[in-house]
Amino acid sequence: MAKTKSKELHISPLGRVEGDLDLRVTVDDGTVTDAFTTAGMFRGFEMILKGKDPQAGLIVTPRICGICGGSHLYKAVYALDTAWKTEVPPNGTRIRNIAQACETLQSIPRWFYAIFAIDLVNKNYAKAKGYDEAVRRFSPFVGTSYEPGVTLSGKPVEIYAIFGGQWPHSSFMIPGGVMCGPTLSDITRSIAILEYWKDEWLEKKWLGCSVDRWLENKTWNDILEWADENDSQRNSDCGFFIRYAQEIGLDKYGQGCGAFLATGTFLHPDHYTKPTIEGRNAALIARSGIWDGEGYHEFDQAKVREDHTHSFFKGKGALHPFEGRTEPLDPKDAAKENKYSWAKAPRYDVAGKGLIPLETGPLSRQVMAGQGNAKDYQDHDGLFSDAIKTVGPSVLVRVMARMHEAAKYYKLTRKWLDEVDLHDKFYIKPVEHDEGQGFGATEAARGALCDWIKIKDGKIENYQVVTPTAWNIGPQDGEKTHGPMEQAFIGTTIKDMEDPVELGHVARSYDSCLVCTVHAYDAKSGKQLTKFQVNNFC
Amino acid sequence: MTSPMRVETDCHTLVIGCGNLLRADDGVGPVLIRHMWERGLPPGVRLADGGTAGMDVAFQMRGAQRVILIDACCSDSEPGTLFRVPGEELEDLPPLEGLHSHSFRWDHALAFARWLLKDEYPTDILVYLIEAGNLDPGMELTPPVEKTMHALIDTLLEELREGSG
Repeated sequence: MAKTKSKELHISPLGRVEGDLDLRVTVDDGTVTDAFTTAGMFRGFEMILKGKDPQAGLIVTPRICGICGGSHLYKAVYALDTAWKTEVPPNGTRIRNIAQACETLQSIPRWFYAIFAIDLVNKNYAKAKGYDEAVRRFSPFVGTSYEPGVTLSGKPVEIYAIFGGQWPHSSFMIPGGVMCGPTLSDITRSIAILEYWKDEWLEKKWLGCSVDRWLENKTWNDILEWADENDSQRNSDCGFFIRYAQEIGLDKYGQGCGAFLATGTFLHPDHYTKPTIEGRNAALIARSGIWDGEGYHEFDQAKVREDHTHSFFKGKGALHPFEGRTEPLDPKDAAKENKYSWAKAPRYDVAGKGLIPLETGPLSRQVMAGQGNAKDYQDHDGLFSDAIKTVGPSVLVRVMARMHEAAKYYKLTRKWLDEVDLHDKFYIKPVEHDEGQGFGATEAARGALCDWIKIKDGKIENYQVVTPTAWNIGPQDGEKTHGPMEQAFIGTTIKDMEDPVELGHVARSYDSCLVCTVHAYDAKSGKQLTKFQVNNFC
Repeated sequence: MTSPMRVETDCHTLVIGCGNLLRADDGVGPVLIRHMWERGLPPGVRLADGGTAGMDVAFQMRGAQRVILIDACCSDSEPGTLFRVPGEELEDLPPLEGLHSHSFRWDHALAFARWLLKDEYPTDILVYLIEAGNLDPGMELTPPVEKTMHALIDTLLEELREGSG
């Protein structure tokens, strides 16, 4: 090849996904007193989408994240379904749900072993009773649970690839359904893969009991009793983790803002054949909602705002995403106006409280599952609304909510696979209207993910994506209220300033889609005490 | 029934394109894959759009005898310069510590694959890197990168056809 060269390469890392997150915390006598999260890279995809064909969102948004591509596709297609007023056959919704659930099922063990559990073997815990066992199980690449956990995490997305062609950057969900015609052998193979993952990881390694036994747990106390019920459960990764987490204090901090948002996911195949923004809440299997710390409210996309007062964008204030503007500033100039992040600060308008920050993610979803008035096809599960009312949110509660979903989503996925009707349609060709606006949402593994689209003259006039990472790591708003993760750091006590593993636990418990660098400063001298990276893959 | 541990992905050669389609020239890997797919492939060749999911590139490599990986790079060279990464660099992969699920590069993906696949790690691996000219948000390749990409496709297809014949 003419131009082929061989030479030593010095390749700077390409910021590939949403970019990096810088976290600055101020520490006073060992306790975090202030925190600022700075998203270090301009995302720019809303600008890419402006003026493009309305379906460009199906190609562009799955590329926003290397690990949530299926979730991006799921909500992007519903944004178009609502804008074009399509009809989606039940099979189309089933396959979309299977794909969305499988992406989350791969994320659960992968996140636990490859991201979260690494801190459990931190040398600061060397004196803990469970330390040697934690090292044996969770040491990166060599732990007895690490390897099967990470290796088996690849199984659920094989199911995604059977329907979607590839994972994660597929665009097989299209307005009106899905672009695939599965065969009986596709379904049989998918079921075999799912059962294998459930047997080998979920039941054998993680739970030490059947999925059904785990799902009998209805309160936080049930979980604690479950962990000590018999040897099999006691010695499972879950049983051990619950004991060890309490020993090293993960149940004591990382509370966060104490208020939650879920946009919900998994539309019911028979109740959302004509997708509308208004009809969405009632058709959700995993419900949406707001918990403001005292009570529940219905989720209404019209009450979402993005505040950019402290973000590197022109002007200030809070706009609804349909009116959202993306006019970037030079961060150096913007810093003069106390702007400090490329992330906007998503807020939600709660009656009587105004615009407040809300945590999103598995804990939020499981809190919403505890709401009353569930329809017979909706998930009703009081386990984590009990947890936040009895013991309150913490790193441990947040982790357990995520792991709990492995059992629930397995059951749902199996049910949809069994229900696919191979003789029925998977797609109904829609009318491509030149004008309209749509809203699509889902729950990525790491939280609420929404698109707002405005179509004019057959082109995208405005497109806004609000990610779970933005909800959780967003900066202060115009009222100087900190974002959820900023709040979760404040009040954390650090034992070893040289190695503040506590901050790692908090950051990782939110599972943000960013590489997070933590800088800790002494409150009195302003001196930088330490700097380290969290969310590393190992 | 096929064992669920083994997906039917066995192939002679797997071509993987990595990169972010939303950052101009960084997307050259996935764009190349799309063009190769449209031009048609000899039997035994499989394509994979690795995108930005580095860890899954490693999963994709299971069952492949030979792997050709294409990625963008940033080495202060002339945009569009094509590098073929020397064999010794493929032996000397970065340590597993420090890998990150959100910022995988080709060498991280290979290091992870070597751990994940063990005896099944393909012995025949070829990596091409194309020097990026522009990494700003956008979906267009710059002309020099586009030109190099098409030249590389021609070469690859020629080699693959010879290999299969």
